[in-house]
Amino acid sequence: MDKSGLKPTKLRAGALDQQKQPRALPQRIGWKVSLRKTLRKPQFWFGATILLPTAIWYWVFSFQPILTAFWIASVRFKLLAPASSPFVGLDNFRDLFANPLFMVAVSNTLYWAVLAFCLMLPISMIVSLCLANVARGRRIYQFIVFIPVVISLVAISLLFRMLMDPDVGQFNHLLNSFGIPSFGWLSDSATALPTAVVIGVWKGIGFYVIVLTAGMLNIPTELQDAARVDGANEWQRFWKITLPLLSHTLVLVTVLLIIGSLQEFTLPQLLRSSSANQSLYMLNILIYEEAFQNLHFGIATAAALLQFVFILLISLLQIKLIRPKWSY
Amino acid sequence: MQLLSTTEVARADRRAKGRRASSKFISQSLMHVVLLAISFLALAPFIWSIFASFKPFKELVSSQDLLPHTWTLNSYREIFTRAHFLDAAQNSLIAAVSVTIATLLTSSAVGYVFAKYRFWGKDLLFTILLSTLMVPFSVILIPLYIRIADIGLANSLGGIIITGLWSTFGIFMMRQFMETIPFDLLDAARIDGASEWRIFFGIVIPLATAPLAALGVFTFLGNWDSYLWPLVVLNSPEKQTIPLILAGLRSLYWTRYDMWAAGSMLTVVPVLIIYAFASKWFIRGIAMTGIKG
Repeated sequence: MDKSGLKPTKLRAGALDQQKQPRALPQRIGWKVSLRKTLRKPQFWFGATILLPTAIWYWVFSFQPILTAFWIASVRFKLLAPASSPFVGLDNFRDLFANPLFMVAVSNTLYWAVLAFCLMLPISMIVSLCLANVARGRRIYQFIVFIPVVISLVAISLLFRMLMDPDVGQFNHLLNSFGIPSFGWLSDSATALPTAVVIGVWKGIGFYVIVLTAGMLNIPTELQDAARVDGANEWQRFWKITLPLLSHTLVLVTVLLIIGSLQEFTLPQLLRSSSANQSLYMLNILIYEEAFQNLHFGIATAAALLQFVFILLISLLQIKLIRPKWSY
Repeated sequence: MQLLSTTEVARADRRAKGRRASSKFISQSLMHVVLLAISFLALAPFIWSIFASFKPFKELVSSQDLLPHTWTLNSYREIFTRAHFLDAAQNSLIAAVSVTIATLLTSSAVGYVFAKYRFWGKDLLFTILLSTLMVPFSVILIPLYIRIADIGLANSLGGIIITGLWSTFGIFMMRQFMETIPFDLLDAARIDGASEWRIFFGIVIPLATAPLAALGVFTFLGNWDSYLWPLVVLNSPEKQTIPLILAGLRSLYWTRYDMWAAGSMLTVVPVLIIYAFASKWFIRGIAMTGIKG
């Protein structure tokens, strides 16, 4: 009682507990005072009204589902009584590897990613080099190149299926009129995947072109001018200035492209036809079909978690690569 | 002698300039050729499909001409009467508009709090929020579907809307912008007696119209185009959105290319109109992601 007599005015709140733990007293009063101070701040109430519903939503629709995914992947999921699903350890992963379609899906997905990378990067580099250096009309070209990006992927899939119909499609009509025999396009298992990747590149290239052009225009012109004064030709300026200073953007673009390719679903799903067998069977299609056609929730989630690990590794690699060793 | 050499120098200079100008002309024309070719490739399928949607079915599958010989609206009539396109458009609009409005509100508010407020655990909380961007959607597809079914929103637009109320990308984007608002501005308003809500809606939101416009168009189009999640959530035909109805044409009307063309055009044209008015925000918004990385 005599110790606390030093600060009599601030005592009331902690008066009940003080006999049990007299030493902790000053700290506790400080905590309560600062809490009371905080509660009086209008900022606290504004922040709390915003953050509380945000936290609840994220917990219910994001964090908890992520945690649940790990549980689903480790049980034999029972649809009618989920709570009594027996724990099976890594059995879902074993079943996944035993499924012959899994290897098909993985190799198709990797093939898609590599092909998309090899097509997308050089073409979008050429187009953005032109866009960054063209004296007039940049805005209208950007406008047009970006149109396929904003357009519904489902509509685009239907349009190309129609154009690439082996019998009545416009593409084969066009080839025939030049005397070239008809082509299988999406209906032939040998050409379906490359054709679908080309459609994907056609749809997505505008995005990469805009990002790369912005990156190129962001390089200070003084550097280009200095090199020009020193007698560097266009080719040298591209390899020695534009490309190294763009490496930051290039890494970002590459990672976005690869992560996107690994999660491709809508395009291959809609371009798939029975005549092309499993040539457009992607990892995400396997996850979808395992889950909602075969009702193997555990196996589907196991496949999704493998995909997650893969994407995580690529993201970590990007974080390591993207730290620039120089600046301008 | 002196005079002669100056004219000579001038002539040589002019010649060099001419050479530079002509090589510049060649490289510029070359770039225009590449860009025109790309523009043609980007537009050609649409131009062909617009005209295709006005062709009668028989002509569409047999003729190679761009322009229809007989113009008809039959394919549009069929897509409305047979494929419930109007219901789908209404569903798509409701879902996309509500998600967009909610995302704009939540992203700007949360982004503002993370940019301008100081509180315990802020950085950790923000890192945890951002880490959800790394998780592919396929991981939470099944748990999220179970959750939606549990709260009775399976097979309803509510299931689409409720999962789109907050957007991590939107929060990140708005926080990036809010950091540029000076503290002095907010403090001045506080001294003048403005409440926190007044500051947010009266000062912060009007300053943020540009990034909000960009985020708004991204969110609207992303939802207008969304396929996988609605495919899982919405089952009955009258609840389905445009992408589902369109994709359904593949199996229901698998040879009716005239209906395909008409349905695609009906999906594409509203988006093109929005894009024509908002392309500035799009291109600026996308370019920003590349620079800030």
